Amino acid sequence: MNASASPASSPVLVVDNLSVLRDGRLAVEGVSFRLARETDTALVGPNGAGKSTLVAALLGLLPRAAGTVQVLGHPLGPAGELPRAVRAQLAYLPQSLGLQGRLPLTVEEFVGFGSDPCGPSLAWLGGPRRHEAVQRALVRTACHDLADRRLSDLSAGQLKRVLLAFCVVRPRQLLVLDEAQAGLDAPASEQFQQLLLELRRQEGWTVLQVSHDLEMVRRSCDQVLCLNRHLRCSGAPDHALSPAGLADLYGPNLVPYRHHHPGDGR
Amino acid sequence: MSEASTALVVLSQPALQRALLGGLLTGALGGLLGSFAVLRQLSFFSDALGHAALLGLSLGILLGINPTLVLIPFAVLFALLVNQLVARSGLPADALLNITYSSSLALAVLVLSLVKTTQGGIQQLLFGDILGISRGDLVVISLLLIAASGVLALGLRAQVLLTLNADLAAAFGVRVALHRLVFIVLLAVVVAVSIKAVGVLLISAFVVIPACAGRLLSRRFPRYMLLSATLGGGCALLGLLGSALTDLPSGPCVVVVQLLGFLVALAVQRA
Repeated sequence: MNASASPASSPVLVVDNLSVLRDGRLAVEGVSFRLARETDTALVGPNGAGKSTLVAALLGLLPRAAGTVQVLGHPLGPAGELPRAVRAQLAYLPQSLGLQGRLPLTVEEFVGFGSDPCGPSLAWLGGPRRHEAVQRALVRTACHDLADRRLSDLSAGQLKRVLLAFCVVRPRQLLVLDEAQAGLDAPASEQFQQLLLELRRQEGWTVLQVSHDLEMVRRSCDQVLCLNRHLRCSGAPDHALSPAGLADLYGPNLVPYRHHHPGDGR
Repeated sequence: MSEASTALVVLSQPALQRALLGGLLTGALGGLLGSFAVLRQLSFFSDALGHAALLGLSLGILLGINPTLVLIPFAVLFALLVNQLVARSGLPADALLNITYSSSLALAVLVLSLVKTTQGGIQQLLFGDILGISRGDLVVISLLLIAASGVLALGLRAQVLLTLNADLAAAFGVRVALHRLVFIVLLAVVVAVSIKAVGVLLISAFVVIPACAGRLLSRRFPRYMLLSATLGGGCALLGLLGSALTDLPSGPCVVVVQLLGFLVALAVQRA
C-alpha cells in the first residue's frame, strides 16, 4: 500500500465531530477541522483546554468517545490502528523526553531509531543506507557535531533539534508537535522555529503544533485552531487571533504574551 | 597437598563445574535483563518479584507440589498483577512495590511457619543453592538466555523508545502495552529460574549491580547490553570460584564481587 497515493489536493488529516474523554470527563467535544497539505496549523487555547488530549486522540494514543479521524485518507481505528505505511508517515514531537542521567544512548543511535522505530533491532547495527540517512538528518538539523554525545547530556535546545533529526531521517507527511518549544529560551525557540519552517518547506510536511506562543503563531502559521474543549474559532491567524477571538478563548483579561525570559530584552 | 592442587581437586568436582557454568549463565542473564530493567526503572520490581517467589515456593511446600513447578507461573502471575495494579491504581509504583514486597515476605513467613522445614531449607531459599544446580537446570537457563537475547534484540528499539516517552513510541507505531508486558513476563521468568541458584534475598543484586556498572562504562546501547551481561557472568564466575576456594557462602561472594566491579567501574569512569 502506498500511503502517499492519495491525491495531492486531498487533506492530510480530516477530523469530524471528535469527542474525547480523559479521566472520565469530556475533555474535547465535537471538534471538526481538516489540514490541507503542506500547511502549518497551530492549536492554541488556555491550559486545560484539551489541546494535548486532542493531539493524543489524533495520534491514536487515546480512544475517541465519538467522531472520526482520517489520516491520509485512512480511518483511524477505535484503538488507534492505522496501516503501518500510513503510521510511518506520521511524526510526533512531545514536550519532553524522560531522560535519565548517563543514558547509554548517543544522538546518532537515537536518530537511527527514527528510520524504523518498530523494526527488528538487529538491522539497527548495520546498513550503509541507514548510516547515510542518519548523517544527512544530523547535518540538516545542525546536529552533526552532537552525533557521539549522549542524549542525556544535551541542552534543551539541542535536544529539540535532535528530535527534528529523528523525524527527518525518513520522509514523512504529517508532523505533530505538542508544545515542542516549551522549556526553550527565546533564542533557542526562535532557532527551532526557523529550522522547523525550513524543514517543512524542504520536506513538504504538513504541521500541526500546539503552542502558547501567539506571536510565533501569528508570524509562522497558515491556520489557527482555537480550542477550549470546543473549537471556539478557526481560520487565518489575523482572523482567529483577533482581540475578540482571543477574549472569547482566554477571557476578557488576556494580555497578549509570548514566553519571556531573563535577558530576553524583547 | 599444596594450595594449587587443592584448588584443582575442588574445581574437578562435577557439582562445582555445574555451579560455575550455572553461575556464569545466570549472571549473564541477570546482567542482560538488568540492562533493560534499570533503564525502565524496574530495579525494585525484580526485588519484589524475588520476595513474591519466596511466597510461591512456600505455597508449593505447603501444598506438597514441587516448588520449582509453582515458581514460574506464580512469578508471572504476580508480575502481571503488579503491572495492572501500577497501571490502574494511580499510586506511585515504588509505594505499590513496597506493599507487595513486604506483604509477600510476611505471607511467605506465615506459610513457612505452618510447614516443617529445616533451617537449611530456608537458608537455601533465601541465599540460593548454586551447588544444587542440575544438568536440567543448566539446559533451562541456557534456553532462557537464548530466548531473552532474541526477544530483547528484536524489541530493543521499542523498549528504548518507550523508556524515553511512551507517547512518542506509540505515535511511531510501537505497541507499547505489548512490549511492556513481554518485558515484565520475561523478567518474572528470569527471576523465578534464577532464584534456585541465587536465592530470594540476592536476586535483585544480579539484576541491578552489573547493569549499573555497565551503564557507567557505556555511551552506546549495544555496548551497554553486552557489558552488563559480561560483567554479570564474569562477576558470578569469580565470586563462585572465590566461594569454592575459601568455603564462604556462594551468593554473598558473588554479590561482593559485583560490588567490587561496580566500584571499579565508578573509579574508571571518573578517571
